[in-house]
Amino acid sequence: MEEKKKLIPRGKVIHAALIWETWVQTCYNYERMMGIACAITFLPVVKYLYPGNMEKQIEVMTRQAEFFNVHPEFGSCILGMAISLEEDKAQGANIPNEFITNLKTSLMGPLAGVGDTIYQGVLIPILLALCIDITRAGDGNIWGSIVYAILMLVISYGLSVGNFLFGYRAGGDAIMDFLEKGILNKILKAASIMGCMVMGGLIVNYVSVHCGIVINASGTEFKLQESLFDAVLPNILPLMATLAIYGAMVYRHWTSIKVIFAIVAVGIVGGFFGILV
Amino acid sequence: MTEFQALLCGLTYWIGVGNIPFVSLWIVQRPLVCGLITGCILGDPITGAVVGATINLVYLGFISAGGSMPADMALAGILGTAYAIVGNLDAQTALAIAVPLGILGTIVWYLRMTLDSIFVHMSDRYIAQGRFSMLRVSNVLLPCLFSGAISIAPAALAAYFGASYIQDFITFCAGTPMRIFQVIGGLMPALGIAITLQYIFKGEAKLFLFCGFIIATCSGLTLIEQGIVGLLVALLYVQVTDKVGTSAPSSGGGSSNATKDVSDPDYDPDED
Repeated sequence: MEEKKKLIPRGKVIHAALIWETWVQTCYNYERMMGIACAITFLPVVKYLYPGNMEKQIEVMTRQAEFFNVHPEFGSCILGMAISLEEDKAQGANIPNEFITNLKTSLMGPLAGVGDTIYQGVLIPILLALCIDITRAGDGNIWGSIVYAILMLVISYGLSVGNFLFGYRAGGDAIMDFLEKGILNKILKAASIMGCMVMGGLIVNYVSVHCGIVINASGTEFKLQESLFDAVLPNILPLMATLAIYGAMVYRHWTSIKVIFAIVAVGIVGGFFGILV
Repeated sequence: MTEFQALLCGLTYWIGVGNIPFVSLWIVQRPLVCGLITGCILGDPITGAVVGATINLVYLGFISAGGSMPADMALAGILGTAYAIVGNLDAQTALAIAVPLGILGTIVWYLRMTLDSIFVHMSDRYIAQGRFSMLRVSNVLLPCLFSGAISIAPAALAAYFGASYIQDFITFCAGTPMRIFQVIGGLMPALGIAITLQYIFKGEAKLFLFCGFIIATCSGLTLIEQGIVGLLVALLYVQVTDKVGTSAPSSGGGSSNATKDVSDPDYDPDED
């Protein structure tokens, strides 16, 4: 294994990684999801696997074009691994065709789950929250948008290419090992705690719910917002609104569209009667 | 708004939803970014960025997994920003108008996801013929042109005609309807936060939401400062619980279980 002769020049592997990250979703579709994107990732490397043997090359490309769907950045190691396996196979290793396909499909579920949660569920919301705050500071500025765009570009390409090369070097066992070691779990726990802290701040800064009810009791006006909520705990209404929506989505399985309609309904009723201002 | 500016808005929408390489999915699609671009097109970058940022609050934790698209944030960002600048709306009102439009935009996404199958079969043919480099045409060029065909015109038209009527509409809405828009706009960000909470408001982390809430209510820290405090607290917490975990004999058995939880593809937020 240590003496493994590499058929593919390193530059071509990096080229393949860049193709993957760049074109992964241009032809995203319900039939094959990212299948064709897998095939086009093999474009720079396939001719090194079986030089001059078109039949074998077609076989590799057909195999790689099958159904595949994963998180682009977290799942790129699977593509690296697939290239490495095809390389071993081309050098005579006894690897059945189904083994490569099965390994790909069995890894894509876990990596998509982890990737979507960490990337779209934690990393992007935290980054967005902080950059939105930068943008709206003072009279407003453009730096939040620019910082966000640059950071996301660097993170996406860095993570994707790095992960691709990791998969290429390490192979399927190492990916399994990594998933089972629980490192991701620790990252997820820490990120969730940080995320919760930021979301708590976000509720205070950006959700606005004000009660407009005024009670006339024996000539004195009792403003519910100022005299009750602001006196007990300011921002309690935004917190309650957020938790109510969270509860509806988690325990009643409301979709986001349903929540949007509910918010519009509450806004119309509350705004019309002056309950909310 | 001139015809040319409307066309540029349409092109921005294409870059946002078409998965055009380098920048699309995680970057231009976000209203924070496409709002700035729309602002540049209409000559008011700062308003664009601020309105885009406000609209983006709704879409903080929107997750597109398994080819689903819960709402079209790029369309909401571009149209909301354009209307805000042309109609001189405040950010919350723009948000209340933009979010329902974002739901309409998902049609473009589902149409594309369905019809892209044509290019899959084309690619299969090229592979069978051994003409691999033609994949650049069938996987990249043609799908991009197709998504342009279905996305540029609707967005440009909506920007152009919407903007010319928006002022009349707002004058018409003065008073109570306007207040309703602002109430809706104030509530909407709670949706973005609630969606994000589905992924992180779990187990031990739950308590920290209320910590963050109280710190923000009482301290006057900026969100960035609070984020740094959050990061430090998170690291501290993981370090401390890690020490406790390694000394307990049960941690070995628990770890494989925990990994299974994270790698669960149908991640269900109310599992625990």
